[in-house]
Amino acid sequence: MKLVNNFYAYLWPGVTMQEMMKYGNNCNSYLVANALPGNKHILVDPGQVVNETRQKCLDRLISEMKKDGFRIEDVGLIINTHAHPDHYGASEEIRKMSGAQVAIGKEENEFLQLASGEMSQALKSMGFEMPEIHPDLYLSEGELRLGKDLVAQIILIPGHSDGHIGIYWPEEKIFMGGDLVFDGSTGRVDIPGGSAEALKASIERIAKLDIEYLLTGHQYGSPGIIKGKEQIKRNFEIIRRSIFPYL
Amino acid sequence: MSGDDKELKSAFDIAMERAQKLGGLSSEEKKRLKEGELAEVGDALGKRYLSGLPIRDVELELGKYKEDRQILISYLISYLLSSLVDKISLANPDDVEKILEAIRHFSKRPKVIEGIRDIINEYQIALEQARQEIQGELGTAKRKELAKKGISGSAVEPAVEASPEWLETSQHLLSEYQKRLEGTKSSLQAL
Repeated sequence: MKLVNNFYAYLWPGVTMQEMMKYGNNCNSYLVANALPGNKHILVDPGQVVNETRQKCLDRLISEMKKDGFRIEDVGLIINTHAHPDHYGASEEIRKMSGAQVAIGKEENEFLQLASGEMSQALKSMGFEMPEIHPDLYLSEGELRLGKDLVAQIILIPGHSDGHIGIYWPEEKIFMGGDLVFDGSTGRVDIPGGSAEALKASIERIAKLDIEYLLTGHQYGSPGIIKGKEQIKRNFEIIRRSIFPYL
Repeated sequence: MSGDDKELKSAFDIAMERAQKLGGLSSEEKKRLKEGELAEVGDALGKRYLSGLPIRDVELELGKYKEDRQILISYLISYLLSSLVDKISLANPDDVEKILEAIRHFSKRPKVIEGIRDIINEYQIALEQARQEIQGELGTAKRKELAKKGISGSAVEPAVEASPEWLETSQHLLSEYQKRLEGTKSSLQAL
């Protein structure tokens, strides 16, 4: 679905308990259409190919993109906010279909290599497999220039994972936060690479940005997109009051 | 006698022949058989240790083989050293340290352990140096390629690990140091 300008959102069902139980886990994906030469798109957090309830997540994404007139073959860049399989899992499959470049946070990739045994065991015990990923480029804090004149800020936001990145689009005032925060809650910190202190610090950092659209990684019982400066500010206040004391 | 009875009898005969053969093994063959069993036990203990069995529990298991303890230890160390050879390509110091701890404990050869550690350190340094050289050369080329695709900026760092040049260089280095590690096996096996 169209969000604003050439930004599109493909939200994985999960607002109601019934949806969560029926569809299982996958992440929200976001598309920046026609951002690269040759009218190629940027896809943020492609999600999984198939999830733990055998839902065909990638097929659904492709179908939803088609409704907006976009083909998966026209994806030119995949950006993964972090290296959890429910976010990056379909990267290589989409690369095969499109020839897209695959990106992930530099610190996240380092952590993935070092803790591959420990993290993959922890995630496997939770029912996730760790598909292969072969990044073409790493993203660190700084400016990401795309196409003719599109600019994004890559911000390192550890806490949910060690090298988690967020993407801020200053002109559109859009922030893609992966699993940093959701509507009324935050990403979990009780898995390898997680840190409550780092998460709090990252949240405080992002709370200072001028954001009109906060795009989250999941619809965990609430809508995946928080719109409007005041709503977003209120969400951060709720998180500080209700979640921070327990992190 | 029916055809079926013939087959049954033949199978029985074969089983009897095998049993007689076992009873008729030479002492050399019996020794080889026992060595094979001990090798399996040594490997299994090594695998269990790497999966989390504490050293004190490994000692308890070894205690069940009083006469064959030393032979069993040599197989255990051989298994651990082979695992180390596999693991040096992974940048996980905890795995390497865990293996060295066990080899140090069971071999009681601190000088050999230090030698192994030196080899691993040299490998890590050589790998990092090679990575930086290749990052410089290939990184520039990859940046140009990305820029043509409309991707650039200070946030971008090209990944060269998947390039054929890096894979060849890193594999060559790995083989060289794996051979040196294998060479330490003989020092440890002579217990």
